[in-house]
Amino acid sequence: MSNLVQFLVNGLTLGSVYALVALGYSMVYGILKLLNFAHGDVYMIGAYIGFGVLTAMGGAQNPAISIWLVLVVMFVVAMVGCAGLGVAIERFAYRPLRNAPRIAPLISALGVSFFLEYSAQLLFGASHRQYDAFSFGGGALFFKGINWGPLHVPLLRIIIIVSAFALMIALMLLVNRTRIGKAMRATSYDREAASMMGIDVDRVITITFIIGSALAGAAGVMFALRADASPLMGFNAGLKGFTAAVIGGIGSIPGAMLGGLLLGLFEALTQGYLSGRWSDLFVFAILIVMMIVRPTGLLGKADIKKV
Amino acid sequence: MKRRTGLFALLVALAALAVVAAAYAKPAKQAAPVAAVRSAAVPCSKAKIAIMAPLTGDAGFLGVEQLSWAKYAITVQNKLLGTKIGLYQGDTQLDPALASTLAQRYVSDPKTMAIIGPSTSGAVVATGPTLSAAKLAAISPSATRVSLTIGGDTVGNHFYRVVPHDGIQGPSDAAYMVNKLKAKKVYIVDDQETYSTGLADTATVALKAKGVTVIRDSVSQTVTDFSSIVTKVPGDTDVVFLPWQQPPRAQIFAQQMAEQGKKAKIFGSDGTNDPGKFKFKGALVSNFAPDITGIAQDKALIAGWLKANPGDKVGSFGPPTYGATQIAMLAIKAACDAGGGKVTRAAVLAQVPKVRVKQWILGDSWGGFSATHDPVGAKFYIFEIQADGSYKLVG
Repeated sequence: MSNLVQFLVNGLTLGSVYALVALGYSMVYGILKLLNFAHGDVYMIGAYIGFGVLTAMGGAQNPAISIWLVLVVMFVVAMVGCAGLGVAIERFAYRPLRNAPRIAPLISALGVSFFLEYSAQLLFGASHRQYDAFSFGGGALFFKGINWGPLHVPLLRIIIIVSAFALMIALMLLVNRTRIGKAMRATSYDREAASMMGIDVDRVITITFIIGSALAGAAGVMFALRADASPLMGFNAGLKGFTAAVIGGIGSIPGAMLGGLLLGLFEALTQGYLSGRWSDLFVFAILIVMMIVRPTGLLGKADIKKV
Repeated sequence: MKRRTGLFALLVALAALAVVAAAYAKPAKQAAPVAAVRSAAVPCSKAKIAIMAPLTGDAGFLGVEQLSWAKYAITVQNKLLGTKIGLYQGDTQLDPALASTLAQRYVSDPKTMAIIGPSTSGAVVATGPTLSAAKLAAISPSATRVSLTIGGDTVGNHFYRVVPHDGIQGPSDAAYMVNKLKAKKVYIVDDQETYSTGLADTATVALKAKGVTVIRDSVSQTVTDFSSIVTKVPGDTDVVFLPWQQPPRAQIFAQQMAEQGKKAKIFGSDGTNDPGKFKFKGALVSNFAPDITGIAQDKALIAGWLKANPGDKVGSFGPPTYGATQIAMLAIKAACDAGGGKVTRAAVLAQVPKVRVKQWILGDSWGGFSATHDPVGAKFYIFEIQADGSYKLVG
């Protein structure tokens, strides 16, 4: 029983990261009907930006400023950097293909993905870059937190879960309570009609990429704080994020959040109660089952076309 | 009609699955190439050695280090021997299929007289038939799977290695765990790759023979969140053994163990040996080579390498590569001397087991290969990671 609670906490941490990645996939698909396969690599770039900022600030062992400030700066710079990257990708790799057959931007997305991976390898080398978060404040991020019997929820996990939820709530508020959110919803519903109603569709798409990529950047830093940054890390995260988006309902923002959290929980429970070797197998089996049983995902809606 | 078609399709799919499963039930043996490529004698001045290592990807750190030492050996030994042997570099990316393609390339090039590597056991198996048919000597500085030279899966007479195999590492690590760490319960997590499962198996057998409780688990190489596996590690576990080839993941695992308050000692195999990446204080690492910075006869050699590679540190994968390259070059030189200025692959292959080196980079002298093409008298070394990340020899 005590293990179950720990597994749930583990799953929630992992799921929070997957949810942030899944949101980017869902948002872009909702508006452009494009699977942005480069999204996982934007997440990877976010992890590297975080590493760069951390190194510039003296590293985890001797930061020039308070570790809390370092963390905030890492997140902000990674999010801004990835937002810029997202805009560039949209502008140069997808916009010219907006009216092309749907396979064209898909292939372009794959190309961008490989381009980012191997550029990162060339620029940063094949070695993994470790944040060394263990050294932050003498291990404060790992040893302080909730320690209640066999349950351990270190500060770092609390930061990740709280930050991820805060970002998700902020996104929901933006989409549901602001003019730009209304414009995004309108564009996702019917791009042509939205344009005829005076909505600057190009601007909405750019903002979508900014938000999605910024979330991926944040997710990259969160992940690398507990693991590390490597040029090919985006592939797996992208795959899991995409799976989460599909499970939740591709195109649905609440669906992406739910899908991500469920995926993380499922993975943690499979690893815990079966074995690590089964977790990926079950995760992708769920994807197949979901496509067969409920192709729109848990919270997705079927496209109804008037004839 | 539709139902019958669907049923037929399902039967065909199941039959295909059964065939594939049957193929995987036995370890895959590559078919030998239809035509063995023979190399003509080439002038010694044109002879080349090819290094096959993962220069990029997750194990890129290993390949890059090996390459730097191979290049250094080429420079130093060419000067000492008066030869002009060149070096090709092949990136296997830890992918046996790519290694196989590289092997074909080098076999097709008549100037290639020897291979340094392949670095990993999977690549050795994949390239075995091609290199063996071409009689191209392959001297690996790091492939440690037992069955490459012993047992029913041997890859061919062309293959040699300068490092001991996992049949020694598993029992050696197990002995340390029992004798020095007094372990009663050991948790072993393999990463499903053949190196890992092989080493995990030999360690399990050795530990159980000594009355130790062994719990096995497994994780995919793409996983970096081990939280739930760590949660499962029982509180009374003495040692968690990680027979992996990715030091950064061993570091992450160790951190996640500490995060959950687990007290078991982390013990990594030689694949986790990288002071720059696996630096968790108190963890143990085994390796097939000693720390050569402590060997007096290597002082000048190390100084030269550091000069040629400013900012780098001496690791544990590089020095055996130097040794392997040295053996290959000495074999080529001997074959050249016997061949009156021309050399063939078969002649080089015949010279490899005859090579002796008085001042061997890994200590003492190089006394040649055993009948199974393994180094004579080799052993594994145990290091403890210090607070500053350095590795201290403890066993």
